[in-house]
Order: sequence, then C-alpha cells, then structure tokens
Amino acid sequence: MTSLSVSNLTVKFGARTVISDLSFSLASGEIAALLGPSGCGKTTLLRAIAGLLQPSAGTIRFGTQLVGVSSVVLPPHKRSTGYVPQQGALFPHLSVAKNIAFGLDRNTLSKKAIAEVVEEMLELIGLTGFGERSPQQLSGGQQTRVALARALAVKPKTVLLDEPFSALDAQLRQELRTEVVALLRSQGTTAILVTHDREEALVSSDKVILMREGRIVQDGSPEEVYESPVSPAVAASTGDALILKADRYIDGVTTYAISKSVSKSAKIDSGYIVIRPEEIRVSRESQTGITGTLVHLDYYGHDAMLSVQLADATIIKARVTGSIEFTVGDQLCLDHAGPIRFFAQK
Amino acid sequence: MNFRIKKIKALPALVALLLGLVLIPFIYLLFRASEKSIPEAIDLLLRAKTLEVLATTTALLALVVIINVLLGTLIATGLHFVRIPYSRALIIPTVLPLAIPSYVFTYTWMALIPALSGLWAAAFILVLTTLPYMILAVLISLRRLDSGLIEVARSLGLTKPAIFFRVVLPQIRSSISAGALLSGLYVMSDYGAVSLLRVDTLTVTIANMFKSSYDRGAAAVISLLLVFASLIFVSVDQLIKGRSISDNASKRSSVKNTRLSNPSLRAATLTLTLTYALLSVLIPFSVLISRFIGNPNPIDYQRLLAAATSTILVSAIGAAMALVIAIPLAILTAQGPGRFAQFSERVILVGHALPGVVIGLALVSLGVHLGALYQSIFLLAFAYALLFLAKAVAATTQALQLVPPVLREVAATLGKNRTSVTASVVFPIALPSIGLGALLVFLTAMKELPATIMLRPTGMDTLATQIWSYASISRFNDAAPYALLLVLIAAIPTFLLTLPPAERGNQAEIDSMSSTAQKMREPV
Repeated sequence: MTSLSVSNLTVKFGARTVISDLSFSLASGEIAALLGPSGCGKTTLLRAIAGLLQPSAGTIRFGTQLVGVSSVVLPPHKRSTGYVPQQGALFPHLSVAKNIAFGLDRNTLSKKAIAEVVEEMLELIGLTGFGERSPQQLSGGQQTRVALARALAVKPKTVLLDEPFSALDAQLRQELRTEVVALLRSQGTTAILVTHDREEALVSSDKVILMREGRIVQDGSPEEVYESPVSPAVAASTGDALILKADRYIDGVTTYAISKSVSKSAKIDSGYIVIRPEEIRVSRESQTGITGTLVHLDYYGHDAMLSVQLADATIIKARVTGSIEFTVGDQLCLDHAGPIRFFAQK
Repeated sequence: MNFRIKKIKALPALVALLLGLVLIPFIYLLFRASEKSIPEAIDLLLRAKTLEVLATTTALLALVVIINVLLGTLIATGLHFVRIPYSRALIIPTVLPLAIPSYVFTYTWMALIPALSGLWAAAFILVLTTLPYMILAVLISLRRLDSGLIEVARSLGLTKPAIFFRVVLPQIRSSISAGALLSGLYVMSDYGAVSLLRVDTLTVTIANMFKSSYDRGAAAVISLLLVFASLIFVSVDQLIKGRSISDNASKRSSVKNTRLSNPSLRAATLTLTLTYALLSVLIPFSVLISRFIGNPNPIDYQRLLAAATSTILVSAIGAAMALVIAIPLAILTAQGPGRFAQFSERVILVGHALPGVVIGLALVSLGVHLGALYQSIFLLAFAYALLFLAKAVAATTQALQLVPPVLREVAATLGKNRTSVTASVVFPIALPSIGLGALLVFLTAMKELPATIMLRPTGMDTLATQIWSYASISRFNDAAPYALLLVLIAAIPTFLLTLPPAERGNQAEIDSMSSTAQKMREPV
C-alpha cells in the first residue's frame, strides 16, 4: 500500500527554484534515505512534506489523502508527521517526559494514558528513569533519541528525520543509527531519513533517493543504486568509483585501460566505464591481468586503497581487504572482475 | 509561503496604529514648528543665544563622549585582560552607578561642594553617570571575543600593543560606538544635572521656554533642533554598526591564557577602577547616608510613602503600556526583514532620539485637548512608555529570538495549531526575558525627571520630583530620604540583573550580561 506519494512537486523561493518537478512514492513501512550534497533541496523536500512550507506546484498525498497542493495546504499540525529536525530541537523549558508527551492530545487521552505512553517511549529509547531530567542534562545522542520518541509518541503515519545524527561523533552515530532504524522497523513506520553520508543512506534504508539540484537523479534499493548507477556522477555519489575512458565495439566487446579483451570489429561508441575499486583483483602474478606500479597506499585498517600506475600513466584505484602484502614500488597485476557499466559519451 | 514567517493578517494594521501613537509627539512638534514662517525659524535658529546654547551642548557632548570612550575602553580592557584578584567583584562598582540618576549625583556632589557649577562640573557629573554604559558595552564585546584570535596573532609574532590595536580594537569598535551613543543621548536629553549646575543646554532652554514664555512655536523649533542632533548621533552609530563584523556568539574560548600579569598595568587598572568607584559610589552614598542620619528635621514618612507609591504606580503603568506597544512591534520584527518592519524600526529609532523634555512638552500641549486624560497619571505613564519604548522593543525582540523557529515547527508537526504553539512554546520560553525587559523600563521610568515634572498631576509628587525640588533650593537634608529610597529601589534590581548567580557559570553570565546591557541601551 502506498503510504506517501509526491507528484511533480516544485518549490520556489522567490525566483529561485529549489525543487523542480520531483516525484516519488513510498510503500507503508518503507524507510527511504534522501541522499545528496548540501543545498540540493533535501531539507526543503522534507519541510514541504511536513507542511512547513507550501509547494509552488505538484501534490503530496498521504495514502489517498491529499495533504499538499500548490493552492490548498493541510497545515502541519493536521498532518500527523513526526518531524525530527537536526540536533533534535527539544523544548528547553520542558522535561524529557513533557517533551515526549508534547504532541499527545490532553482532551482525548487521560493523564494516566499519557504517562503510560511516555513510559513506553522512554523504555523504547532506553532512557527509562530519565523522564524528569531537563534536555540540557542529556548527551547529544540521548537528545536525539528523545526527539525521536517525541515524534513516535503520537503514532505518526510518516517520520521525517533531517540529518538527526549529524552532530554526533562517528562511533555513536553508527550505534544510534542502527538503534533508530531497528526502532522504526519494529513500529512499522514509514520514514524518510535525510543524509549526506552515503554509507548511512545505503545501510539504513529500503530505498535510496538520490537528489541533485532539486531533482531526483535516481531512486531504488541500495543495491540497485550502488550496483547499477544511471550515470558516472551517481556512481560517485554512492561510493568510491573509478571512471575510465572506454570504447564499445559491434561484437559487444568493451575496451578500457585494464580490459583483457580486444576487438577486431568496428567501434560503435566511446564513453566511460564505472568500476568499483573492490571489483579489481590485485596479485603479484597473473596470466591475464594488466601490470602497473604501486605508487600509493592508503591504509584504513579493515581494508586499504591501492593506487596503481599503468604504463600509460593512468592511475587505477583498487581496494584490498585482509593483511596487506604490498609496498610502494611493487609491480602488480590488475584484474577487473566486475560488471561492465558502460556510459556512452553524450 | 514559509510557515515560519506566515503573517498574522491584522498585525501590520495594528503596528501602523501603534506607530502613529509613537509618532504623536514628533508630528505635534512638526505641526507647531510649522506655525513659524521659514525666515522666522531661521532667525530663531541663528540667534546668538541659540548658537551659544548649541555650542555649549556640543562642547558638553564632546567632553563627556571623549572622556567616556577613553576611560571606558581603558577600564573595560583592563578588567578583562589584566590578571587582578577579585576582578569579578571589581565589576560591581562599575555597574552600580546605573541605578543613580544624574540629578542625584549632582545633588550629592553639590552637598559636598556647594560652589559646584558650570560646564566642567556638568561634564564630571555626566561622566560619572554614563561611564557604566560604556564599560558594560565594551566588556561584553570583549567577553565575546575569541581568544584563539589573540593566540594566533601572538604566534604570528605581534607584540601585545599591536594585538590590541590590530586584533582587539577593530572587533570592539561597534560596542564602543554603542556605548558612546548611549552616553551621548543621555547627555543630550539630560535635564537634572545641567539645570542644577546652571549649564544652558538645548534641553534646559526648551524646558525654560516651556516654563516662561509659552511661545510654543519657538520651543518646537528648538526641540526639532535637539531631535535633529540626536538623530545625527543615532545614524552615526547605525553607520558604524552596519560596517562592523557581526560577532559570532558561538565560538568563544577561554580568556584565561591571554590574561596579563604585568604589575604596572594591574596598578593602572586598579587605580582607574577604584577612583571611579570612590567618586561614583562611595562618596555619593556616604553623603546620602550622612545627610539622612544628620537631618535635624523629622522625616515626613507619610509624604515619603506617598511619593514612593505614586512613583511605583505610574512607572508600573508606563512599563505595562510600553510592553503592550512593544509586543506587536517585536513580533513584526521577529517575523523577519521586510520593508514595513524596517520602517517601524526607523520610527522606533526616531522615538529613541526624542528626549524626555520634548515628549513632555508635546504631551502637555496635546493634553489640554484630552479632557480627563490631562492631569492624570495615565498621560505621564504614556510619556514613559514612549520614552522607553526602544528598550522594551529590544528586550521583547530578544526574548522572541530565544525561541528558534524550529521549535515552533516541531510543535506544529506534533499537532499544535498557531495559538497553541504560542501558548505552550513561545510564551513559556520568552516570558521571563520579556518580564526582565518590563522591569528595566519600570526602573528607568522611576528615575525619569523632565517629563515627570511637566506631566505629573497637580499635587502628585514622585521620588524624582521631590529630590529635584529640594535639591534645587539646596535643602539637601530633606532630599536625602527620597534619594536614598530611589537609589535603593533601583540599585537592588540593577545589581541582580547585571550580575547573575555564580553557579550559572561563565557562559550564562556572558549571555545574561549581554542581554541586560542590550536592554540598558537607552538612557534616562
């Protein structure tokens, strides 16, 4: 069942178009990651869905309910979206418990019922006993969790998270991200996570929506956008990508700097090929491979990135895992073992 | 349209109405002045007497502002950069004089030196009165200074004096200008000190014209001259402020490592600060207390109580009125920049430049046509509201800025409509600061003199008018209880507002100091 659909959405700030003719939809319970460089319109899209700004054209639907069009707009307080802005934005004048209870309707819920929901939420985010603290007494990670609990307490149809982990350090960020995604899945909530961290987008979502300059350049499952990018630029935005000049021939052969095959038929196209560094096998000796000199090595611990210079001065990056047996200056053989992603030059 | 700046439809109309109210005195002046033909007005402005008064006013202004800029910058940088034991306590005497109006300073010093009079005496008294504005303004911007910059400059090989002139001074320039503006406006609008010391400034001349001749047109022309001079002053400050770099409040590092232990600098700072404390706190207070104790006549406690009650009553009504006018203006300003918001800020700025004597003059003349309102405390309270509106607007705007838009947005996504967001988020967070702003207007109104003299209902005395009438006939003993009471009522909150409790830590102290000083940005 479709939970959220955005069609032909355009948002303008004065003369500047921030989002243009953008469409996508999410199934119920689906978690989407909105990935793109800063300034590409991610936050604007999120705010339009929350009802915090009015689109210039297009429609936003929750299920079958129309919530936002250019002329009429359902105000934010009637949309039932859980909004988690950057750094949480907890109400500084309210305790943790009162923050979580903020959106619960005191007219329809008894005091006891509200207290129960708050307790339940505190347990869910692992902060039982923290209810009476003030937000200032919490760490950054705890504040983010409370902001999420505040959003989830009202049982929203959609949760919108705007770079909620951006203020946290790397390790905490990873832990909290795992926790939050598990939490959203256990509640079956449809969610959109805005991020500019490509790893975060891939690891935490069912669907990655890649944005650039107010448009969606590709959307699909994490595997899809990583394995089958629609352009070299998209490939580079989801992970390390090696982009090499390539030629394609009538008999189906593609040649590039480290290709093994040659073709005697006529060339039909020239363009680029995208290779992920982990798709290149590196060895000291190989029958088929192309040889080059190891000129640089970046060691990351769990893996290492090798820069190998070929005879024609092309630098090829290759990722190797496990213990590293090479040193700079070594002669190495490269073997491309991945799919051929060819993009014809326009 | 953006939710956070979604306009309340009735607001511009309401604000326009309030601005009209604010501009009443100014429009009245223009109207009255236009009764004079242009040659008549020019003749009036170029009279030897007018030029002499203008020269006196300019000289006094220049003296006070220059001394303030030098002393204030020296004391503030000394207190900030030199390692001095108990330096926190040393700030107290530099703040406490804010509670003492110029006419009380004058009266205590005249009780000590009866022959005190003239330009230099007036400059002395007005420096005593206004130096705290300068010191506080500079001290706050010094505290916001990133000491990392100083360390970088040192590592680049700059000497300490070079660091002061090339790194520190450019960044505190706008605060020096703000302090100079405050003290300058105080000097131009001051009535108490200059008239007791028999210095004929524009303000005194206007008040005298009002008292004696009743040539309202002529008084209006001279008033416009004064307003014009104040406006020039305000625009110069705006110009300097507009050009300087806005300080980034988020990045502050500890100053501890950049404090200097040079003994001669320490001695100089201590000498300056303690001399100021002696002249502005110790001597005036001891005169007040000795006059109070040494008074052979019995004190009329009933009159004292009546004066205190009416002072508090009328100042409180004035503060409430100021707040009522300020809130819509502040909401408009907080909604973001716009042509109308900009216009309303300009109008408030014009109001800011209107001295008490001018507002008093305008309202007295209008009051005659107002029936029951004339000779009522409400007209005087309204004068207070107009005089200290800029202060109230600044405090309210700052209070509303404490509520970041994202909090309102989150509340909206959690199902709260606009009214409910205001009630459950905006007001709980902003109200304490708005209250502080109202308290400051109240305290300032209590000390106001010229408008009070002109507008108080017949038979009603306030603490200010009682001090004034006793002091002007040299009955210093009789003035003492009134002065002591006024200063005590004003001093305690001033002290508490300016120095927050230590346990709130350095950060809170800086924030509170800066906001308090922001609110204090208008003279009496």
